[in-house]
Amino acid sequence: MVQFLIKRFIGLIFVVIGVTFITFVMGYFAPGDPIRAMMGSHYDPVVYVQLKHAYGLDQPFFVQYWHFLTGLFRLDFGLSYQIQNRPVWDILKDGVPISAELGFWALMLQVLVGIPIGIISALKANSWIDTTNMGIVLVMYSLPVFVFAVFFQVLVVAIDNGTGAQWPVANWGNAWHYSWSDIQFKIGPIVILALSLVAYLARITRTSMLEVLRQDYVRTARAKGMRERIVIYRHALRNALIPVVTILGLSLGLIVTGTFFLEEFFNIPGIGETTLQATQYRDYPVIQATAVLLAVAVVIGNLISDILYTLVDPRIKAS
Amino acid sequence: MDTKDKNQEITGHEYMPPDSVVSPLQLDPDLTVLAENDLATALSENELKELAEKKEKPATPLQDSLRRLRRDKRAMASVGVIGFLVLLAIFGPFIYQHIGGPYDSALNGTISPQVYHSYYHQELDRQDEGPSAQYWLGTDDLGRDLLARLMQGLLISISIAVLVEVVDITLGILIGVLAGFHGGWIDQVLARFTDIIFAFPGLLFIILVAGIFGAWADTHLSSIPIIGANGNARLLLVSLALAFVAWPLMARYVRGQTLQLKEQQFIEAARTAGTSDTRIILRHIVPNLFSIVVVAATLNMVNTIVAEAGISLLGLGVQTPGSSIGLMISQAQNLVSSHPWEILLPAGVLAIIVLCFSFFGDGLRDAFDPRSKD
Repeated sequence: MVQFLIKRFIGLIFVVIGVTFITFVMGYFAPGDPIRAMMGSHYDPVVYVQLKHAYGLDQPFFVQYWHFLTGLFRLDFGLSYQIQNRPVWDILKDGVPISAELGFWALMLQVLVGIPIGIISALKANSWIDTTNMGIVLVMYSLPVFVFAVFFQVLVVAIDNGTGAQWPVANWGNAWHYSWSDIQFKIGPIVILALSLVAYLARITRTSMLEVLRQDYVRTARAKGMRERIVIYRHALRNALIPVVTILGLSLGLIVTGTFFLEEFFNIPGIGETTLQATQYRDYPVIQATAVLLAVAVVIGNLISDILYTLVDPRIKAS
Repeated sequence: MDTKDKNQEITGHEYMPPDSVVSPLQLDPDLTVLAENDLATALSENELKELAEKKEKPATPLQDSLRRLRRDKRAMASVGVIGFLVLLAIFGPFIYQHIGGPYDSALNGTISPQVYHSYYHQELDRQDEGPSAQYWLGTDDLGRDLLARLMQGLLISISIAVLVEVVDITLGILIGVLAGFHGGWIDQVLARFTDIIFAFPGLLFIILVAGIFGAWADTHLSSIPIIGANGNARLLLVSLALAFVAWPLMARYVRGQTLQLKEQQFIEAARTAGTSDTRIILRHIVPNLFSIVVVAATLNMVNTIVAEAGISLLGLGVQTPGSSIGLMISQAQNLVSSHPWEILLPAGVLAIIVLCFSFFGDGLRDAFDPRSKD
């Protein structure tokens, strides 16, 4: 088990270096001279050299990459191109808790709703309940978040206009606060983000549960005359949930891309929205920082799910 | 919308069986149906003859798969819809621009349908109209024809899907087969590279590329005719980025399948007969990759279409005056309360495309690999 984790950890370091390198190279070879663009019409050779030095852009390639890499550990992503001398982290830091909040609740919903749907479908496999469930799940899973976001907003507007209700169409409220008005803001984006996650997990849970129900030990348990409830919840479910743990790690990727669209649609001031604004000003360090942050978050998520996996699956512990 | 996470479960179990592996004995489905009916009354002589012929010449696995696919009503209906949308995108604009008489515009003089039915012409005194005889699906907030814009958007979606898939399939097969067949350093490099690409969640990499090189593309690629003009300059960039993140997954599938095929007896037989590696790969391995490549490519097409729409929606893809389904959604975003139709139209069409491709992809997978169903 320790060996397995060490192997995974080495792989992780490799991936992080790869991701940061690709990101860095893109920024390094980005077209245009950012310092010149920043100075605009106030071009002055002396100030230009000073600024170039301040931004570390006069250093050789690998020195710059080294600074980029080591800076990550201190959350130091360099300085913004858009606003002189403003650290990138300063721009991003307000958005992080908001994006994290959105992702966190979507993940919670995924577990709380996705697993039960999958179990019910597996237990009633091929009945009308299962077919309807899986039909809905397929639609939830296939359609992109922004299509749901459009449908949701149109619906909310129609209801507001029709009934005179004041349900908010966009915006977020206070991060990690849950007064009634905060909840009104947050519930829409969270549910929409959770839709594809729930569908994903429901499908995996169903497949895994069906697989387990076919195993010999389940038949043995039934043959012993055990009550069906105990067979299902104590014998089958526990084992069926093992692969589900890994899915939670993979879900992070869906969450990250989903938040970009939802933040754009609902005007949520998270890091996705901040990054998109940065693209308009060609503020490359902000884009780079977000890409690296999110990629590293996904990699760490995968590592955590690997660790959980070794904890819940004794077969890995043994080998 | 997510480039790889979705594809990861295209095979519920590990790999699909190669096409050439003889499947366990199955009753001919046609015969089972017949057995239930009265044979004598149900069959004319001709049909009996056909059946006899069929018995002599057993269907190839591919024919079997196609028969299963044809019986999948949902998949076939989806193919119909996709086909209609493709025809609409390719021939629709041409036909539409020849329908309708000259129009006396208050702002632009007398104009022909060739002008007012084009996707970029603005008729500024006819904004946000509903469907009419002149504008079949109405106009947007700049007085542009929504049907024309939609058809152009469909064309963009289809071309980018085809473009990305060509690169995806070529690179995927090339690298995947080499990695699976020879192993060694190619396999190692592929594995590491895939790990890195998979760490970039879906659109993130494309956002990174489009965000950093988008402005450069706008100025430098827009002089290329057709693919660069009319705000499409970033499309080339986006499709390259999409192909770049798509092929490792394809290569991984191909590699797995190749590994499995390599152990099959017919490959061993070919090798014993002195067939060269190149010939084994071209004659025996590549043809057997057909089903897995087709299924993976179909499912990846949805991802590509959604990704393009998404990236244009975020303002990093197609730029005005060009049109794309994503751009249409983003431009109608402020009109949700006043003119919801303008945003529902592109979003609805995108939903239809995505569902049809998913149904078709699912149908294909079930047809090629019946065991994957449960």
